[in-house]
Amino acid sequence: MLPYAKLERYEGNEALFELVMMSIVSTYDGEPLHIHAEGLRGTGKTTIMRAARDILPTIKRITGCIYNCDPADPHCPHHRNLSAQEIVDLGVEEIPMPFLEISHSAKVGTVAGSIDLAKLTDGRNPEARLLPGIIPQAHRGIIFIDEINRLADTAPEITDILLDVMGTKPGHLQIEEAGLPVVHIKVAVSVWAASNPDEEPGPLEEIRRQLSDRFDMVCYMGRPTSEVVLANILKENSHNTKIHTNNSSNNPGDYEKQHERYTQILLRWAERYNQADLPDFLRNYMARLYVKHNLESIRAIEAMQQGAVLYSTIKDRDQASINDVIHMLPLILKHRLDSDTLIRVINDVDVKSGKESMFSFVNKKPNKPDIAEETEYFKNSGRPLKELKRQELINTEKSLDFQVD
Amino acid sequence: MDSGQSNIGNATSVANYLSLYLGQDQGVRLGESVVVSRKAHARMPAKKIKGQIEILINCDAGKTYLDCMDIDQIVHIDVYHLPGEIDPRVVARAIFWAMEEYFVNEDPQLQYADDVRFEFLSGYAEKIQITTNLGKGLIYDLFQNELKPYTVGEEGHDHVHILARLNRDEYALVYIIAATVEEVILKSGLQLARVRNISHGKQKKMEDDFAKYIKLPWKKFKGQTASFMSPEENVNQLVLKLAEKFGGIEEIEEWMQCYSSNIFKRKGAEYQKKKWGDVDHYVKQLEELDLIQKTPLGRILTKKGLVLQEYVIKHKCELETEIRRNIRKVPGGGSTRFRKFGKSKQKTTHVEFVDYNKTINKGDTTWTGNLAVSQTVIQAVKNGFLRGDEHFSIKKEDLHFYGKKSYIPIDICLLMDASGSMAGEKRQAACYLAQHLLLTGKERVAVVTFQEHSARVVSPFTRSQSVLSKGLATINPGGLTPMASGIMMALDLIKKSRVHNPLLIMITDGIPNAPLWTLDAKGDALAAVANLPAQKIRFICIGVESNAIYMEKLSKSGEGALYLVDDLNKENLINLVRYEKKGIIKE
Repeated sequence: MLPYAKLERYEGNEALFELVMMSIVSTYDGEPLHIHAEGLRGTGKTTIMRAARDILPTIKRITGCIYNCDPADPHCPHHRNLSAQEIVDLGVEEIPMPFLEISHSAKVGTVAGSIDLAKLTDGRNPEARLLPGIIPQAHRGIIFIDEINRLADTAPEITDILLDVMGTKPGHLQIEEAGLPVVHIKVAVSVWAASNPDEEPGPLEEIRRQLSDRFDMVCYMGRPTSEVVLANILKENSHNTKIHTNNSSNNPGDYEKQHERYTQILLRWAERYNQADLPDFLRNYMARLYVKHNLESIRAIEAMQQGAVLYSTIKDRDQASINDVIHMLPLILKHRLDSDTLIRVINDVDVKSGKESMFSFVNKKPNKPDIAEETEYFKNSGRPLKELKRQELINTEKSLDFQVD
Repeated sequence: MDSGQSNIGNATSVANYLSLYLGQDQGVRLGESVVVSRKAHARMPAKKIKGQIEILINCDAGKTYLDCMDIDQIVHIDVYHLPGEIDPRVVARAIFWAMEEYFVNEDPQLQYADDVRFEFLSGYAEKIQITTNLGKGLIYDLFQNELKPYTVGEEGHDHVHILARLNRDEYALVYIIAATVEEVILKSGLQLARVRNISHGKQKKMEDDFAKYIKLPWKKFKGQTASFMSPEENVNQLVLKLAEKFGGIEEIEEWMQCYSSNIFKRKGAEYQKKKWGDVDHYVKQLEELDLIQKTPLGRILTKKGLVLQEYVIKHKCELETEIRRNIRKVPGGGSTRFRKFGKSKQKTTHVEFVDYNKTINKGDTTWTGNLAVSQTVIQAVKNGFLRGDEHFSIKKEDLHFYGKKSYIPIDICLLMDASGSMAGEKRQAACYLAQHLLLTGKERVAVVTFQEHSARVVSPFTRSQSVLSKGLATINPGGLTPMASGIMMALDLIKKSRVHNPLLIMITDGIPNAPLWTLDAKGDALAAVANLPAQKIRFICIGVESNAIYMEKLSKSGEGALYLVDDLNKENLINLVRYEKKGIIKE
């Protein structure tokens, strides 16, 4: 697999690179950002998302805690009731931010949690304990799901779990296992997904609308159009390049250095994101969008807020501006709205400014109806109500049908 | 006082009728020139006899004119007059005083309580909006000379358009308002217009003026923020709009060819109309977008238009994906009105397969099934622990089996009438249905058409969208209706292909008029249809009301079902077929 630093960037996949960065920054600060890459087959959705593993920063957790408990805010059944001193005694370790995948052979037990078989079959001291599944283990990290539309189609039970986990930020997970007490835990996991809407069984929003709405942003991958880019991609993937990278010891180190640099940048952004806030007028603007265009899900404007701040952060700007919001709009709304409304929302934003609206009436060409036909529409004059008898007052379609002119 | 008394009598009697009819979602003609309903009203210019008003039962007045959230809140009163100008302020004042008179008559006590009376009246004044061809506003505002200008094209050019937020028990006011407005009209020296008839109908979808809001990247932006917008999004949406109308990328290309400067590639308006229906609206929109221009040699694509054409060719791949995505969408609403006769009695066969994603514990019921070994062992360990077993053992209660999935594959053959009458919208709707079925289902779809004197397999049973859409693009309606040949051709195709639960859907808006074996076209079609049951083919027929009698015979002869709709449009067709498929699966 190609290292992250080596991936070719072009216009069509730029948005996905940005989203990946934004999601890592946000996740690091404890606020998940769920992203979904859609696009034609073979455009590199999965490659980019998997490669992002290379640049993930590390997180601190209570030593050995499989639920990745934050020492400052322990949440798992083992640690949540401990005092600060007890936690200090347990010690703290640094681990890479979790990046786990849910595959298509996943079962509810492996995803949410199941009974720990190793403990159970321990010859000397058998014990019924819970083994957390992929989701609780990915707390404060990322879960990647490839071909999510197929998963939603074939494994509705897992989809239901995801709905719960992605429904709120942080999400909620309930693990049930016969013979064990029910466990509730909060999980802050960013879900990354990839799918091709054109393949069976069709786009996610047609299969499980709720799940599609849970994704804050959907990125539509474009194909590379420039020949230079394509040639570069080919070169990176040629057997020649691969063999030589494997043999020479210098190159990998280079990438690691680059990745390290990326990680440092991410950490800097994360620190800034922690402090950043959205100006009030932008918040009002989003609220207006919601009301004016009859948006359905409030998640849409929540995502707008989160997205705008994050985007301004990764663009090294001090404060989010209207342009950040506008940039995020298509990513946030395309899977939530039909195309007509989307295009109205997008084009709505620039209409207001300056002269254009003042002079717009000049260009307006109202469809003038044909006056001649208009005036002849009614031929006869009618008698006023006061001249009519009571039984003549009300006429329905049927009673009028019997009257002959 | 005498006129006042009879006024109240009339008003109450009108109120009673109104609450009856409006409650049934109907509108009425009040007197000779007033139309009252809770819906939007429209003229019917298409009809030869003028002076009719259509009540659009699918457009609530409040929603249409005032953007209300709830329906049935607003009473819509239109008082029609012959051409001339009416001042809304005069109307407003007259209504205000008439209401006062009415309330005082109803409750003489009010005479002596000025402030109560005024509060009462101004409450109503804020609930009633008047539009005439000179302006509009709430009675309250108009009373104080605050007038909003009238814009051309709005309601009110030939009538006084009144929207009143009234409850059922306040409907008596409708008569008072209508009578007062009539008086004002007559006093202004105009004549009332006689509404000849009213009819109830549905509003056809307004053609969307997308030129107004789609901004092309090569159009100069003036807004500050414009440069930050993703320009391609707009172009994509424009192409999708065109695709909605024309069907697919290839057809858009073909249509744009009609406006190329190469005369040999251009096709006339007749051809276009046959294939795609009315394209005028789209031509106009593209003209407004500066993509097509008028020249002495007819309309041709502008430079920008050529850029668009190139864009379409270059981005075919992405655009087609987007189009397919739109076709997959199930139409919302689902308020299709249809009549169904008969029912197909063919039995269906299921396909069952093992679902390796799901294991079930059958408890004590059975020993048989597809054993899920690892699940069983895990369960045995768990249960053993709970049971306190000394040694590992598998009991019956531990057994886990793989689940089963079953589904009913339904291979669909669309038999499309491609005679002259199906040209335009109906053809487009049927083609859309074929694509929608292919993209949303797991089964194969075939299309057979019949026209002139023969039938033709447009696309054999296939799962490939490109095969289907290429086939569909070749359908050019025209000629007679040789239904019998069509049915025999479809039958033949189904017999030759290996299909599961074949469903033959015939879409037609006519009756056969070209025979196959004898000289009797109708008889031949009946005879042809009679072959279907023996081949275990489910038959449904989608037709229009006007041919009900013959179609019923036909579906009976084919032991099938008949659906009659008022209009063969996309939504209706898709909803019907989904309904039918659901029915088959339920059995």
